[in-house]
Amino acid sequence: MKYALPIILVVVTALLIFAGLFVNAQAGITLGVAKGSALHTATANTPDQAVNNLLLEVQRRNWDRAYDNISDKDDVPKEAFIRSWGGSDGSLRSFSSLEGFEARPLHETNDEAQIRLHLEFSTPVGPIEDVRDLHLVRVGKVWKAVWPRIEVPNVPAQVIPVTFLRWDLVTSSAGNEWGAKNVDAPHVRIISMNAVDSAEGAVVMGEVTNEDTVPAFVTVNATLVDGSGNAIDEESSFDKIAHVLLPKQVTPYRIDFPGFNLKNVKNVRMGVNAALVPASADPVIGVMNQRIDTDMQGKSVLHGDLLNQGGQTVNIPHIIASFYDNDGKVVWVSDGYVDRALLPQSSEAFAVEIPKSLSSKIHNFHVVVNQYSLNNS
Amino acid sequence: MTSADPEMTGLFKLFAIMCMAASLSLPCSAQELRVPSSAIAGEAATIPTTGSGNATFYLMGPGTAKKSDVTLGEEIHLPSPDLQYAGNYSAILCSNSCSSANFYVTAAKPAAMIFLVHPSRVPVAQGDAVSGVAFPFDRYHNLVTAPLNVNFQLTAKDATLWSRSVRTQDSVAWFRTNSGNSAGPVQAIASLDDEPVRRVVQQVASEPCNLRITGERTRAGILVQTEPVHDCVGNIVPDGTIVTFTSTGPDGKGTVDAPIKQGVARAKIESPGASTISVASGVVLGNEIRVGAQP
Amino acid sequence: MRRTIVNLKSASVAAILSVAGLLLCCPLHSYAADNAVQVELDVKKAAPRAVEDLTERSILRDYRFAWLTMSRALEFNSPDFLEGAFAGDVKGMLTQTVASQQRSHLSRRYSDQSHRVEAVFYAPEGDVMELHDTAEYQLQLLDGDKALINEHVVVHYVVLMTPAADRWVVRQLQAVPRF
Repeated sequence: MKYALPIILVVVTALLIFAGLFVNAQAGITLGVAKGSALHTATANTPDQAVNNLLLEVQRRNWDRAYDNISDKDDVPKEAFIRSWGGSDGSLRSFSSLEGFEARPLHETNDEAQIRLHLEFSTPVGPIEDVRDLHLVRVGKVWKAVWPRIEVPNVPAQVIPVTFLRWDLVTSSAGNEWGAKNVDAPHVRIISMNAVDSAEGAVVMGEVTNEDTVPAFVTVNATLVDGSGNAIDEESSFDKIAHVLLPKQVTPYRIDFPGFNLKNVKNVRMGVNAALVPASADPVIGVMNQRIDTDMQGKSVLHGDLLNQGGQTVNIPHIIASFYDNDGKVVWVSDGYVDRALLPQSSEAFAVEIPKSLSSKIHNFHVVVNQYSLNNS
Repeated sequence: MTSADPEMTGLFKLFAIMCMAASLSLPCSAQELRVPSSAIAGEAATIPTTGSGNATFYLMGPGTAKKSDVTLGEEIHLPSPDLQYAGNYSAILCSNSCSSANFYVTAAKPAAMIFLVHPSRVPVAQGDAVSGVAFPFDRYHNLVTAPLNVNFQLTAKDATLWSRSVRTQDSVAWFRTNSGNSAGPVQAIASLDDEPVRRVVQQVASEPCNLRITGERTRAGILVQTEPVHDCVGNIVPDGTIVTFTSTGPDGKGTVDAPIKQGVARAKIESPGASTISVASGVVLGNEIRVGAQP
Repeated sequence: MRRTIVNLKSASVAAILSVAGLLLCCPLHSYAADNAVQVELDVKKAAPRAVEDLTERSILRDYRFAWLTMSRALEFNSPDFLEGAFAGDVKGMLTQTVASQQRSHLSRRYSDQSHRVEAVFYAPEGDVMELHDTAEYQLQLLDGDKALINEHVVVHYVVLMTPAADRWVVRQLQAVPRF
């Protein structure tokens, strides 16, 4: 009798495991909850099911089974397919996982279908959304995805000398002698500031420049002050700024105050901190083909291509774009991460969103690329 | 001849007896301490005592709190380590009762200087851009309050750019001067009579001036480069300074942030169509050029 | 009998009120209260740089804190009190003073302090300030519990203060016969 409870618990656990492995669960209408059990997926009798099967296996990182769901294996090498989902070269995608997805059919016939995918990745820098259209074809009785050809940059092997300047920081060994201490902190200056209300709250943005001849690690913070001189809230630019500024480099910044409204604000007190930091002027990254367009969802985006002109891989490129009106005033700052590494002598596309309410005011823009390379960490 | 009042005489006698009794009843000690009138830091001193018997001597001051048994009538020796710090000291001598006296120890002759110079980097040709402050100290780290002449100098490559002698006021001497016209390290020197104290100020080029670019289309794209970038006084802007090239054409906009190398910044811009290329560094703008489309 | 009872009641009430009054007006560590150190600061003569409002408030606060902590350190012979308010050679001097007092079983007490402080020099870059402090206090020098001296003194101090991470610290505190 005393063994009854443990036996019951073991049996129930085994049954539940069996159910989880072999019984089909109902997919929720909730975005991106995968259909299917852990061991097998339903037969892809419909385009919707084919997409679900593919993305379910991607979510589980069952690359072999995911690869089985595409039709054009001859054109898409397996390694390239896995790299495109799992990331490579220390890119942001390498540290991300597919959190959820939503598929909306655009067009369907007996043998072909077009589905719009909204993919949501969870990454170390927050959620990243990706929207793409997927073409499916019926092969026999099942539907399979036609995976777009994956372009691998064909960069010839070469030696690229690094001749750009590098700065190292040496701390004083003179003990604590008063007056014989270290070098001064870099001189940085806020060159513009604009405070606006947005849908999410108050936003303070502008540009800051490094006026010095040495690299600076810069942070900008702002304090909202009411009519009585009391501080309402204080926030920092966090990652909406290129923190490492080389001499004479200019970066936009944006500071968000979620839930606050400027009608209670009498003054904005700005603060900028700069510290000496080791840095390198390499690699040089060009930002090409920048233009403002409307994407497939009807949103206003600034898109372009990043071109790595150096010999070092940029593992995680980060784009910060400032938008100006006719008077040259900064009216918005957007940022976005590219989840693929930027290989030497190659390019990657980027896109950052612009709020619809502002797109008509924008007269000009400027893009700055923040970069993170594993070698420099 | 006036005869003395017997009552007054008696009072005087009583007074005299009382004084004698008082002097006899006083403890056998020196009631007055003759402390040094001008003690110098780090120099020994003595305090003479009178009377006889034993007593306890206390010396309390900056860095010092000592208690010792002494013999009255002998000199109390204050060794130099006890008077190392300048400041206010209390000497107390106790036997049956205590008597005390205060004295000051002043700083010894100057032996060192605290020299603060700002900034460590300064753009050339800036007015009142370099400042220095000097405090003289003796070898025991006491501030020397006596007025002194401090010689300040700015030198570059063994040439003296500027010099001035400043008398300390309230123990401090200071200067403020313009930065020079040539980029490079400058030594700021402060000296009394002995070893000078040196600090280095790096003079750097100011904002780029007359930023000009040239460009040509090649098979690899549009190659643009600046002319040697100088400031308005003629110093080459240091390597690593970022120059931003911007191209505007039918394919959109392109920008490259290129660092200056050996005085020149270069960049490659991929833009097949006809493009207008402009340049900027910090908040300084340069010229624009037009490059034709790819044939 | 009734008068005795009333008297007893009055006596107890009076006793309770007296004890309460004593406790309220004579806290156990009244010496260490901030209002035992009064500081007035005049920055009008500071040159070549004018003293900013925030700096003036910081100097006032931190100089008072320095005297408070120094007084405690020298009264209780504990060098831990010196952390935070002093830097450089003066900290070494005060630490040496405490150590010397500990060895000799001596101590000193500063009470009823009043400091009239004048800023006489403020460096162009704001990295050092010189103050002249005319300090009045009751000074007791003690051998164990026995007071050797108990006198009201007026002492002139030359003070150098420099900015640290989040406060101003005292780098030099030197008594002089006159300014």
